Amino acid sequence: MIIATFIAKNALRNKRRAALTILSVAVSCALLVTLLTLQREMTIPPESEAASLRVIARNKVSLAQPLPAKQLAVIDKIPGIVAVSPFSFFGGNFREETVTSFAQFAVDPARFQNIIVEGKIAEGSYDNFIKDRNSCLVGADTLKRYGLKVGDQMRFTGTFYPANLDLRIAAVYQGTVDDRNVFFHHKLLDELLGDPGTVGTWYLRVESADVANDVIARVNKAFENTSAEVRAETERAFQMSFMSMLGNVKVLIGSISTVVVFTLVLVTVSTMSMAIRERFRELAILKALGFRRRELFSFILAESFGLAALGAFVGIGGAWAFWTFLDLQTLTRGFLVYFEVTPRIMATGATVAALLGLFSAIAPSIAVARMSVVKGLKTLD
Amino acid sequence: MTVPNIVTIRDLTKTYQQGEINVTALNNISLDIEAGEYLTLMGPSGSGKSTLLHIIAGVDRPTSGECRVQGIDVTRLNESDLADWRNQNVGFVFQSFNLIPVLTAFENVELPLLLTRLSRKQRREQVNTALELVGLLDRRHHLPKQLSGGQEQRVAIARAIVTDPALIVADEPTGNLDSASTQEALGILQSLTRTAGKTVIMVTHDPKAAAFGSRSIHLEKGELVNE
Repeated sequence: MIIATFIAKNALRNKRRAALTILSVAVSCALLVTLLTLQREMTIPPESEAASLRVIARNKVSLAQPLPAKQLAVIDKIPGIVAVSPFSFFGGNFREETVTSFAQFAVDPARFQNIIVEGKIAEGSYDNFIKDRNSCLVGADTLKRYGLKVGDQMRFTGTFYPANLDLRIAAVYQGTVDDRNVFFHHKLLDELLGDPGTVGTWYLRVESADVANDVIARVNKAFENTSAEVRAETERAFQMSFMSMLGNVKVLIGSISTVVVFTLVLVTVSTMSMAIRERFRELAILKALGFRRRELFSFILAESFGLAALGAFVGIGGAWAFWTFLDLQTLTRGFLVYFEVTPRIMATGATVAALLGLFSAIAPSIAVARMSVVKGLKTLD
Repeated sequence: MTVPNIVTIRDLTKTYQQGEINVTALNNISLDIEAGEYLTLMGPSGSGKSTLLHIIAGVDRPTSGECRVQGIDVTRLNESDLADWRNQNVGFVFQSFNLIPVLTAFENVELPLLLTRLSRKQRREQVNTALELVGLLDRRHHLPKQLSGGQEQRVAIARAIVTDPALIVADEPTGNLDSASTQEALGILQSLTRTAGKTVIMVTHDPKAAAFGSRSIHLEKGELVNE
């Protein structure tokens, strides 16, 4: 027999309790990992290299206020900008849906292709999109979700604008951080709305990340003291401003996570204390046989740590597998596209479990260290 | 030929607090035990015999006095040194056997050897020898629940002798055994003193059990009444 065998046999002597302890740690770890992932997804929008070069300029008063289309000529002349396109949110419902989870944007196709440069599009198909004013460019995720193909029609009922869209799928893109959106001709939107001469926002790509701040300052300055002042910001900052509308999600999820961890600590400490209290007499025997306090502490710590580690392995591994292989987009009707359980989050879960193993061993170890052999031997089985 | 003392006790007193009452468990006891003796400690409940046994075995400490075992004053050793000393010099046999239920007979006997520097092979040899001595080598893979009370106590005796200690202490070892098993267990302890030169100190209430010893001493109210 080796010490490890002795520890393992002790840990698993009450199989039902060991299984329930492992399960409670596993479920709590899975919940913790899920909450941390949710927090990350809701507070940190996905990043891409191309996104860091993109800037969105909106009306300074409100995102809902349009901008004059004539601003394009001014923006075109601002140094540091590679491409600029109108970018107007349509907000329609697809088919008979009451809530459609993917967005539709009106853009200038010829200019727009120089903005979403990371998008992979079948060769030649983008030209078809440019040529046909009633066509659209669709994200691969949406195409897959609705079982659509190039050439199919997509009908949208306007909720934001008093107009409906009937678009033919001309091209498909993928490889961006969000492959769900539909892009169509701004000219079509203008026509449907009676050519109001406005756009929702401007979508820009700058030369390099180094000049992004300068370009933002120039754009803002260019329309200072006009009837439509703009507020330009990076795509990431723009996304973050949306996230802030969700309220202090970080604090909420953080609070729930703390409660989960606290409950987990209580459950495990209680289980370990119970397991050790039942074995007080045996531990007194071990002391009589010559085992010292530090050796008994090692046994208790190893047992507690082992149960926590097993629970963490099952819980974190299970959560990773579940969220990795689940079709989350379908399940959440497109609310969540990505739900990546990152190595950092898994490491956080594992650290919590390790600390839990250590913490739950402390109280029983102190009790055993204080216990005299004589009193321990008098303990009833 | 003079036989050296293995245990020398001088002016040993043990008092403890029980609620508001100060109880004297041992009162100024002096005692010598020779190596190879089979000493039985007798007396009524609360006479202090188990307390005396615990102090000699280094699992309890006196309030005052000296207790030398093989020349070492065990009352002055710190916790860690005392644990090492117990492992190397004392074998314990308890009334309720106190085997670890999840370990086999072999593993229970091997437990004290895990603290030594012996190799796995050496440990196996020593455990087999100890189990053979108590006649349970063929039951070495059995769990305690698969053994009878007498067999469990024999495994406990094997555990007590596996480190080859000079002193074996037994606290009412036959209290939970039937008469046949009692004879077996006491016979083994007796043979340990006669053939292996071990010193056995045994607490018992049973005069028949005490008859196996080479000397018997009586305690009453914490004092030696006769020898």
